[in-house]
Amino acid sequence: MENEIAFYRNKSGMTQEKLAELAGVTRQTIISLEQNRYNPSLLLAYRITRALKMAHIEDVFRMR
Amino acid sequence: MIAKPEWFTRRKYLGWGLMPVTWQGWVYIAVVVLPLVLILTMDVVGTAATAFLVVWAVVFSIDLLDVMTRLPKDERDRIHEAIAERNALWAILVVLVAGVGYQAAADAVAGSTITVDPVILIALFAGVITKAISNVYLDKNN
Repeated sequence: MENEIAFYRNKSGMTQEKLAELAGVTRQTIISLEQNRYNPSLLLAYRITRALKMAHIEDVFRMR
Repeated sequence: MIAKPEWFTRRKYLGWGLMPVTWQGWVYIAVVVLPLVLILTMDVVGTAATAFLVVWAVVFSIDLLDVMTRLPKDERDRIHEAIAERNALWAILVVLVAGVGYQAAADAVAGSTITVDPVILIALFAGVITKAISNVYLDKNN
């Protein structure tokens, strides 16, 4: 799976730490996600999408 | 209890337990360890010293166990911990079973009664029971 977390996070001026806090995960997990080294669960994907204030999960995450 | 989870992180690379990540964590460890070191190095003996050691060890073991259960973990931490602990368990199992096998084989070759360290057998049995209970719980609740 690939994602645009870093793109949308930077677009909203959010730090990795802030996104981690909003999504309920560690900053290390956000780093791993942005580097496409970790595939989140559906629940975490939804939390991140909501934290980034995006409407659709498919805008943030997509299958390779 | 006494220690706070934010003072520690899970020990990943050198055994099990906790690793202090704040100065409060290091002070806590020093406070726990110092009396034990003093008593042991000063060679203080007697019932009072033994009782103190036991009570001190029990209180802080419970406290640290409490911290370990309350350490914040996200899904990635839980997955990594599960995989690492499973790999460690397999390594321990291989050594224990090899050890039991070696003991039995050595006794058989020597023509003596085959005896096996009961603690090893109890440990293996405890592992089997724990795994069974865990799987029953997981099947029921997940």
